[in-house]
Amino acid sequence: MSETLGTRSRRWSTLALVVGLAGLVLALVLGSARGDAFKRFEHSWLVSCLYFLSISLGGLFFVIIQHLVRAGWSVVVRRVAELVAANTPVTALLFAPLVVLLLRGDSGLWPWGDVAKVHASPLLEGKAAFLDARFFALRCVVYFGIWIFLGRWLLRRSLEQDGAQDAAPTLALERRAAPAMVAFALSINFAAFDILMTLNPTWASTIFGVCFFAGSMISFFALTVLLLRFLQRNALLGKAVRVEHYHDLGKFLFAFVFFWGYVSFSQFMLIWYADLPEETFWYRDRFHGTWLAVSWVLLLGHFVIPFAGLVSRHAKRRLWLLTFWAVWMLCMHALELFWLVMPGAEKDGALVSPVDFACFAAVGGIWFFALARLAGDKPLVPVNDPRLPESLAFENF
Amino acid sequence: MTASATTKVRLDEPYHRPLLIEGAEDLASVTNRVCGVVERPKPPRAWYIAITISGSMTLMLGAMVVYLISTGVGVWGNNAPAFWGWDIVNFVFWVGIAHAGTLISAILFLLRQKWRTSINRAAEAMTLFAVCCAGMYPAVHVGRIWVAYWLFPVPNQMQMWPNFRSPLLWDVFAVSTYATVSALFWFMGLVPDLATLRDRATTKLKRVLYGFFALGWRGSARHWQRFERAYLLLAALATPLVLSVHSVVSFDFAVSQVSGWHTTIFPPYFVAGAIFSGFAMVVTVMVPARELFGLKELVTLRHLENMNKVILATGSMVGLAYATEFFIAWYGGNPYERFTFVNRAFGPYAWAYWIMIFCNVVVPQFFWSKRIRTNLWLMVVVAILVNVGMWFERFVIIVTSLARTYLPSSWGYFKPTWVDVCTFAGTIGLFFTLFLLFCRFLPMVAIAEVKTVLPAAHAHKENGHE
Amino acid sequence: MSEAQGALHSLVAEFDDVDGVSAAARAVRDAGYKAFDVYSPFPIHGIERSMGLRATRLPWLVLACGLTGTVLALFFQWWTNGHDYAFKISGKPLFGVPANIPITFEFTVLLAAFGAFFGMFVLNRLPEHHNPLFENERFRRATDDGFFLAIEARDAQFHERATRELLQSLTKHTVVACHESGESRALPVWVRASMAGAGALALVPLAAIVAARYRDSTQAPFHLIKDMDSQTRYRAQAANPFFADGRAQRPDVAGTVEFDRFRTDPALLTGRAGEAFVDQIPLSVTAELMQRGRTRFAVYCTPCHGGAGYGDGLVAQRAATLQEQAFVPPASLHDPLVRARPAGQIFDTIRNGVRSMPAYGRQMSIEDSWAIVAFVRALQRSQNASVEDVPDAERGRLGTR
Repeated sequence: MSETLGTRSRRWSTLALVVGLAGLVLALVLGSARGDAFKRFEHSWLVSCLYFLSISLGGLFFVIIQHLVRAGWSVVVRRVAELVAANTPVTALLFAPLVVLLLRGDSGLWPWGDVAKVHASPLLEGKAAFLDARFFALRCVVYFGIWIFLGRWLLRRSLEQDGAQDAAPTLALERRAAPAMVAFALSINFAAFDILMTLNPTWASTIFGVCFFAGSMISFFALTVLLLRFLQRNALLGKAVRVEHYHDLGKFLFAFVFFWGYVSFSQFMLIWYADLPEETFWYRDRFHGTWLAVSWVLLLGHFVIPFAGLVSRHAKRRLWLLTFWAVWMLCMHALELFWLVMPGAEKDGALVSPVDFACFAAVGGIWFFALARLAGDKPLVPVNDPRLPESLAFENF
Repeated sequence: MTASATTKVRLDEPYHRPLLIEGAEDLASVTNRVCGVVERPKPPRAWYIAITISGSMTLMLGAMVVYLISTGVGVWGNNAPAFWGWDIVNFVFWVGIAHAGTLISAILFLLRQKWRTSINRAAEAMTLFAVCCAGMYPAVHVGRIWVAYWLFPVPNQMQMWPNFRSPLLWDVFAVSTYATVSALFWFMGLVPDLATLRDRATTKLKRVLYGFFALGWRGSARHWQRFERAYLLLAALATPLVLSVHSVVSFDFAVSQVSGWHTTIFPPYFVAGAIFSGFAMVVTVMVPARELFGLKELVTLRHLENMNKVILATGSMVGLAYATEFFIAWYGGNPYERFTFVNRAFGPYAWAYWIMIFCNVVVPQFFWSKRIRTNLWLMVVVAILVNVGMWFERFVIIVTSLARTYLPSSWGYFKPTWVDVCTFAGTIGLFFTLFLLFCRFLPMVAIAEVKTVLPAAHAHKENGHE
Repeated sequence: MSEAQGALHSLVAEFDDVDGVSAAARAVRDAGYKAFDVYSPFPIHGIERSMGLRATRLPWLVLACGLTGTVLALFFQWWTNGHDYAFKISGKPLFGVPANIPITFEFTVLLAAFGAFFGMFVLNRLPEHHNPLFENERFRRATDDGFFLAIEARDAQFHERATRELLQSLTKHTVVACHESGESRALPVWVRASMAGAGALALVPLAAIVAARYRDSTQAPFHLIKDMDSQTRYRAQAANPFFADGRAQRPDVAGTVEFDRFRTDPALLTGRAGEAFVDQIPLSVTAELMQRGRTRFAVYCTPCHGGAGYGDGLVAQRAATLQEQAFVPPASLHDPLVRARPAGQIFDTIRNGVRSMPAYGRQMSIEDSWAIVAFVRALQRSQNASVEDVPDAERGRLGTR
């Protein structure tokens, strides 16, 4: 039960690091080869950073809420989730260069980084104090600070419970879960506004943070399914994680696919219905040229098809099928972030470039490297958790 | 182990789940306790007093509606520019309250929260009664209600069809679907309990009445198997339904271009607010009901505390939505939108705005304190204030935006008339009358469902592993 | 126990707890019985396995109902708003899917819920108000705190003694025999008759609607509430006994003057002096008058006559596209015939109309009409000018031609 990655940690982390560094070199080369002062590179880099950040944020929410409601079923999968949630420092490091470029006035990402442009536009001038590089950097420090602190604290206490004879760490986690949730909600909502929404500084949508949250949850559940399958394939977590737990993870995946569809539809339909040019241009940019095809693929591939695919009980209990949908949703999440970010760099059509894949490999490799190192010697299941027996015996509907 | 008003409830011992039902209850005692309420020859005196009051308020509602229909909508305070006044505020208010029942029945069921079994019957009943109160408003506020059938796609001599692209018509479909599905869900759950009442009936009339509606249920395992499947499927259907209904209600406002109304967060924000006010109403109703009808062992302090935690959580979501709206109004730079928010706080309706902020943002924060969460009197006070706050939220959203729209020459001030006030009071009377009748004649607690969480239902497994 | 009136229906064993009845179910299942059932006040976890029951088809039914709802709702909205009574409203497309999703969703859920609810009862064959088991008094505990297992006589394996022994071995309570009641299970005649009668009556309004929909009538449609069909008001030419002269319509108050009463100049008012049209505009033509004429021309005249007066306005263009035979295109104001006409005639045409051109006299003041005349003259001059008309200062700007 108290299995750890052991020697595999070193092996897998090295492999991930190699991929990551190779990806990084390739990405930098490809990025500079475009000759646009790394503008396209920055967009790709942001997509990749947000991808892995959103997975960690999804993990944070999951772990906090399991403690908040004193859930019993999820104990066996919670350690993996804690590790994913605690993997934010490396994401912060990877994201930092973008902020540094902004502070230097060289950002190709956020149009308001150009102070002259801000002062030339009455609309932007009104919020120049907010769209200020230093204030933005400070806010990012706060957001990442909150996430790193929460992720580490949740993992640390959980590890403490591994070695404890009573339930004190668990009780502490339960007590603090509610304030943690408040901090999480505020930080993810406003971080989504800051990092993603200000890419179009004249556009605003109040539900934007919720849409980002929905996508984060989907990607987290999808990756967790894959991680658990991967571990079980490598003879870890053998008896602990059973089809019942995958079934629940599948239910969450399905529920958040539906929730994503609901919030995305709300945003789109309300903007479509009122038809105000100051709002509709954002969608027009994404329905323009080949972007329209991407939008259709998102609607069908991120919502309609996985909804139909995951609705049945059987889909969630057949592990090969659940794995398939997890991979599918991870691809769709990448497409969604691409669709959110890239129209800033590719106005005429959705052009995928090799630099996108290179950036993904770079960020992903380094992220998995950090994850494997984090997992290191830690038990993959929270041994000594008071509700572990309940989780092991858990049976679904 | 009966709970009194100030009993301290221990924090959950993580090593085992505490019993949901207090006292040494077994299957027969649960049946006796719940059926006893229905079967006693006379309800408690407080019931008579309560129904006299609520009954007269209901009669007043009838009178107000007759007056309205015979004279016209002018008897209300609606007028340019506030074309929507208390009628729509109250409609949204009641529909919001209705949502708690489905959440408790359906969503908590899907989340395997066994504590819901003590309160779901009463909450679902509350849903139906709240939907009745809500549905009355759109029906009578149209002016010429004798042609209200024009709202429905009935082939007519004008060869016209309703405009399905309008959120008002989406409302018609959403609320009627919600009423129907809630009624089906509620009735389906009632069938086994009606069979219990039928089998205990002492008079022929009772046996025939309960028996007719029990449909011949006999507790067959084959029937239970399909019943449970249907229950799960209805719960799975009711969950997106409850999300959609209040979202569609929010679309009434959000699809427009009125500043303060057109904002994309309205759907989830309204749903969170609905759950917030609905749970508050459940608490308000269940605290006296469990005292009056002797159900304290079944609806324990823990159940109430859990509901209060949900109130805190959804209240915080509503607060977050306020903050987001405020921020984006500033960030978006739209002067009309900015003005709307400034006007709400400092304009002619500032008094309503600050009541709303106090009741919705400040008051629920008291539930961070466990002492307050588990104190019966205080939780009812908080719950009532929450409902007041949520009423004011709808009032602030609707009336301030209409009273101060784009053209200053159109600005006005809305004042309700005595008919508005009496109609609303009447709907409160209707709600409580129906609820009191429900308490008298139908089992308030889902007997069969509560039995599934007793130890006696899982004899060969370890106690309390849920 | 009731008298053994009918055939043996089943043998019923009673149990005290969940364990007992579950174990018994397994034993009965293993013994090969199929037509048996367990009765309990709540669903027993795992009893389906113990009894060897198959999964129910209900979810498929619900899925089918839901999909039917989706298709029906989408089609219906398309057909009603996009086809049968197609009307554009607030710029929305006739069939704009985002606006049609909410109702589609609600209807899907509604039909799926019907599938779950009615499907469950139909598959369970409920309502079934009469069942031989109800004759047994103790069986009432099945909805309270008792557990029962009944093996029906129609089972292939059923053998009264062997089955009874098997059941008795599983429980300490005495196994009871349950007999069919001798009464018929059909509904009483009066119930059937009234249901048939009610059904027939229900068809009458439907038939009336169909008949009314497809028949013509010379009478006004029947509606119960008169709305504002008949209003308490006096019509013109009606009698009204309130007034001495008995008329509803009152004559002018003493001292009323007609419009333009004190303006007597016929040239100003009619554009004529005697029979002939005046040549000169009877107002002083100032820059202000010209501006006024220009704006009024743009408002009233350009739809037909076009911006420059060539008769190519939007109305004329549209009529040409539609090839309306009866449409006479507006005259070009630069036609020599029109240019030669006196100012008064132009004024008269504006105020009284000519051929297909309507009279604009009701819509504008005398002054405005003269202003338009002045502008028309300026327009005609502009389209028929020579180089000499260009002021010296401006002549340099012309190209060498």
